[in-house]
Amino acid sequence: MLRSHFLNMLVFAGLVSIFFGFLTQNERRERLKVMAILFLSMIVLSLLIAYAMFPFPLNAAR
Amino acid sequence: MSSRSVSAIVSCAAAWAVPGAGHFYLGKRRRAGVFFLVVLTTFFLGLLNEGRAYVADSQQPLSYLATFTNVATGPVEVLSRQATYHRLVYRLPEDENSPEAMALLGAMRTKVKSVTDEYGTTYLLAAGLMNMLLILDAFDIAIGRKS
Repeated sequence: MLRSHFLNMLVFAGLVSIFFGFLTQNERRERLKVMAILFLSMIVLSLLIAYAMFPFPLNAAR
Repeated sequence: MSSRSVSAIVSCAAAWAVPGAGHFYLGKRRRAGVFFLVVLTTFFLGLLNEGRAYVADSQQPLSYLATFTNVATGPVEVLSRQATYHRLVYRLPEDENSPEAMALLGAMRTKVKSVTDEYGTTYLLAAGLMNMLLILDAFDIAIGRKS
């Protein structure tokens, strides 16, 4: 089991980036570019959203 | 039936049966290998993380889409269904108080209690969505819309 949130995010982003890189591009160079852009976008956007959510309480219903 | 139509049908069926097989059939062997590894890695990470397969529930319309997405992974999907419900089931009985429905919901709740259930379920759904895109991509290549 992967209990680490961050590791799960890295693995998931990596798999999705590889998938779309190979699905959408034929040239090796373009493929690597798409993979890098997708991977970094997913990681950076997730961290930004997580940072923006940080001030909100975890258990608002209680 | 033209050879392109036959090729499209065979490649789509192969792509559903084994992730990447549609591309392999169409001569895209390297891509096929990568797709096979990526989709199955995603699927097995879902199983490893205690992900649960969805069953169609008439009271929750979105569950039909989720069940369809699970099924799109191909025959290997039965492993996740077996792991979640200990048998092959695709639909929740109409009467939620029936012993069968109670047993299914109980099995589902056991999975939900796992810390990594949400991750696992997401991995399983992602594997199904990836395979759906592979089926469509194989179709496009077979009919000559994409190289």
